[in-house]
Formats: sequence, structure tokens, C-alpha cells
Amino acid sequence: MLWYKSLREIRTVTLVGMAAMAAMCALVVLNQQTMRAHADVPMTYIAYIWKSVYNSIGRDIFIILSIILGSGGLLQERAHGTAGFTLALPVSRRRIVFTRAAIGYFGVLAIAAVPIVVVPVISRYVGEQYPVTQNVGFFFLWAGCGAVFYGVTFLLAHRLEGDYISVLLAIPSLMLYGVLLNLPWLSRLPMLNIFDIINGEGMPFFNEAQHLLVAPLPWLSLALMLTVCVALIIFAARRIQPLDF
Amino acid sequence: MIPERVIHTSELTKDYGSFRAVDCLNLSVRAERITGFLGRNGAGKSSTIKMLLGMIHPTSGSGTVLGYLIDDARQSIEIRRRIAYVGEDKGLYGYMTVAELIRFTRSFYRDWQPEIERRLLAEYRLPTRRKVKALSKGMRTKLALLLALSRRPALLILDEPTEGLDPVSIEELLQTLVTAPASGTSVFFSSHQLSEVERIADDILMIDRGTAVLDMSLEQIRENYRRISLGFSTAAPRLEPIRGIEKMRCDGRQIVILASSNADAIAQLGRDRGAVDINVSPISLREIFLETVQERNRNDQQRHLEHEDALV
Repeated sequence: MLWYKSLREIRTVTLVGMAAMAAMCALVVLNQQTMRAHADVPMTYIAYIWKSVYNSIGRDIFIILSIILGSGGLLQERAHGTAGFTLALPVSRRRIVFTRAAIGYFGVLAIAAVPIVVVPVISRYVGEQYPVTQNVGFFFLWAGCGAVFYGVTFLLAHRLEGDYISVLLAIPSLMLYGVLLNLPWLSRLPMLNIFDIINGEGMPFFNEAQHLLVAPLPWLSLALMLTVCVALIIFAARRIQPLDF
Repeated sequence: MIPERVIHTSELTKDYGSFRAVDCLNLSVRAERITGFLGRNGAGKSSTIKMLLGMIHPTSGSGTVLGYLIDDARQSIEIRRRIAYVGEDKGLYGYMTVAELIRFTRSFYRDWQPEIERRLLAEYRLPTRRKVKALSKGMRTKLALLLALSRRPALLILDEPTEGLDPVSIEELLQTLVTAPASGTSVFFSSHQLSEVERIADDILMIDRGTAVLDMSLEQIRENYRRISLGFSTAAPRLEPIRGIEKMRCDGRQIVILASSNADAIAQLGRDRGAVDINVSPISLREIFLETVQERNRNDQQRHLEHEDALV
């Protein structure tokens, strides 16, 4: 039942996040005519969806929610006075941390999955079509990249006590990472750029003219991102193990 | 099989930086007894309990609970499976309802007793659909107690269990604790309410600044502890310390002795040294506590002042 506790902890953020993502997707699709009419250059419906959902506000909402979902854990419980109750349960600290990490990541996946349902359904309502396969493809990109954002915050949340410290530190850390990507020797390695991989921009698997995912997704990079996330979670668990509560 | 000593520690020490919270503590808690764990705020009670539960790690020393090592991660899980614990802060998940928290806690223990759960729910009048965060402090304490008492644990560890409870609930809790050893549950509880401890405890363990200063059954305390007042017609003479004298205070023509045993011999010593008025009286747990702790406190303050004077 540890999963249930973790689920209850992330339930509100996840549901609100899913609702926000759904509302954002719906608004983008419902306003497509007006927005496309006022665009500087004419664009296809597919290009409009990519620019609005996957390369702009949708992606940003997703990143912020991934970071928020990464916060929480035993240190936050200590601040709220519930760590004693949790640690008195007959389970290991490692299991508590891993369960929280897994359930939190399911929250990330749930939010990433919202456009798969909302975009095609509302597109049909406004007489447009957006391929579900594209939504699914971006789901995997978001799942992989989101794992890194989530993992970084999760580790920070298990090193620093306080409700918002991990979130407040994760955001500038990722901004710094974004700045570092502009360094000449790093810019030569595009597969390190999570911010580009997440929307496909400039990537070999993305057709810039059609704004469609065309080639096989970078599965190796995505697997690497998940591995990084798992490593960060293991570091978090190791950090918690010797702590006094 | 439950060992004869449900809790045993040897030279158990906990340092927080330069502050020593528990100092080479040797304690032994007997099975199927109620042991009151006494001490001032900051005496090291909660740190000791948390070490027993694996929440904090000892700096040195060792300990066992129900025969399992406290500083072994695997054995610590076994300890927590077999004991029930109510913490000092009674921090429970505010986002769950009472029913959800009961269901959640129940899932971890095979020895959960649904009939006790139902009885306590009715007795404590806990609103099952209300969120824990909406409960009053007293209700939260009752819920924490329900979660601990709805099982048949080998050992019940309670840190300030009556704090925040109304008199009726305190009475009900004390009755529950009194009957626990009969069903094979040992009780180890800390409290500042000495009258409660005196009412239900079989054994008393008193610590001060992390060290055990009294470890005795209440029966032994009642039988052996005495206040001996010696009145002299002239200035009180200096008495040599003999067995049983725990504290001695000289005040003009009077000497007041706190004796842990050997009261007759001490009284005789007073008589031999010319005491004209000898009064031997039983002493309450509260008085023993105050005498023991305050004396150490006074000595501490004296040492502190001397140290400051030396620095000046």
C-alpha cells in the first residue's frame, strides 16, 4: 500500500496538471483558425499544433509539472511531521523512496499522455486532423526527457529540506544546462540537448518542413535519459539511507 | 518466541554534532511488563526511542528490540513489524481520511485485529470520513493510538501517549495499557505525567542527559526509597556516605537524605551521630524524579557558573 500513499501525495498535482494540459490542448485546437489567420506566415494545421503544443506552451507546462512532481519524499515529510509515521512502517527506506519515485513518474507519464487523447478528439470536432501516431511519438519524447527533469528534482528533494527548495533549484539548474548547451563543444553533440529532443527541433528524426516525426525515435537517447533518471533516484535513496529523522 | 528482555541496549550513544543526546545508555526492559520511561525535555527519551526504531542511527553502542539488532536495516524492519509505535508528534497523513489511513496502516500488519479497530473507533468516536488534517489534536492522538492498539504487537512503544487527550480518554487509554501485558504485549512508554506512570507502570526507567539515573521496579521503589530527615540540636555533622544514600542535603541543624535502600542503617547512623529527631517517610515517584533531576541540574548550573568565572 505504499503506492497508495505516494499516489495520494501526487494525486492533486497530477490531476490539476492533466486538467491544465487538457485545457491548454483544447484551447489551442479550438482557436486554431484565429491563431493561424494572424500568423506571420501561413502554416498547416500540423505545423500549428507542433508549434503550439509540442514546441511552446504545452512543452513548458509539461516540464514545470515534471519538476513539481519530482519534489516530495521523506525530507518533505520530515518538514510536515509525518516522517516518523512513515518510517515506523515495516518497510525499508529504499522501498519508500523507490515507490515514491515510480508513482511520481507515472504522474509524469499521465500528463504526457493527455495530448494523445485531447488533440485528435478536439481536432476532429473542429474538422481538422492530427495523426495520433505523432502524439504517441511525442509522448515517448516527453516521457524520456521528462524523466531527466523529474529525476533532477527528485534528487534535489532528497538532499534539501523544504517544500519548494527543490523546485526552485531545479529550474535554474536546467536553465544553466540550457546555457551550457550553447558552448561550442557541446553544441556539436545535439543528442545531449534535451530541450531539442523533447520537441524534435533540428533532430534527424524530425521533418522541419512538414513538422512531423518521420524517422525512428532516438530510442538510445531516451533509454539513456531513463537510465540517468534511475541513477538519480538511486542516489536519492542512498542519500536517505543514513539520515536521522 | 519473545525474549525475556524486550529491549536491551549496551553503551548506546547518540551525538548530534558536539551535543551528546544519549550517553552510553544501558537499559533493559522486561517482557510483559509496563515500563515508564521518564526524563526531562531533552533528556534523550525520544532519541532513544527513535534509535530503537531505526529512525536515527546510534553513534556508538548497540541495542536489541525483541532480540533483533536495532542498527541492522533488515532486522529493523522486523522490529517495526512486531511492535506498535505512537510518536511524540502524532504526525499522520493529513490528506487521507480516517478510514483511508486505517486501511493503509492495516495493510502492513498481519496481526491486525478488526474487532479492536471497530471497538476503538466507537470508543474514540472518530469520524471515519473526515480528513486527518481536519481532526483536532486530541482526535489525532486517538487515531494514532487506534492504529497502534488495533493489533497484538509484542511490544508497544508510546512517546507521550496521553498528550492532548481529555481526562476520559486518558483513563480509557490507561485501562487499555494496564490490560496489555495480560495478552502478551509489553509496554514501554515515555510520559511527563508522573501520576499516570505511577498508576500503571511496573518498572521505572529514568534518564537524564542521556544516562540512566534510575532503573527499578515501582514495587522496589516503594519498598526501598525513603526520605530520611535527621534533626540535630546543634549544627548538623558531616555524615559519611554509606550504601543507599542517593542525595544528601544539609540545612543548618537538619540533614535530609534521599535513600534508595538501607533506610534503617542510615537512620541508625544519624542516631549514632547525635540526631535528636529522625523521621523516615515513603517518597513518591514525583519527588524522586525532582530530587534526581533537579540535583543534577543544580550541579550543572554550578559547574557552568564556575566555568564562566574561570573564563572571565
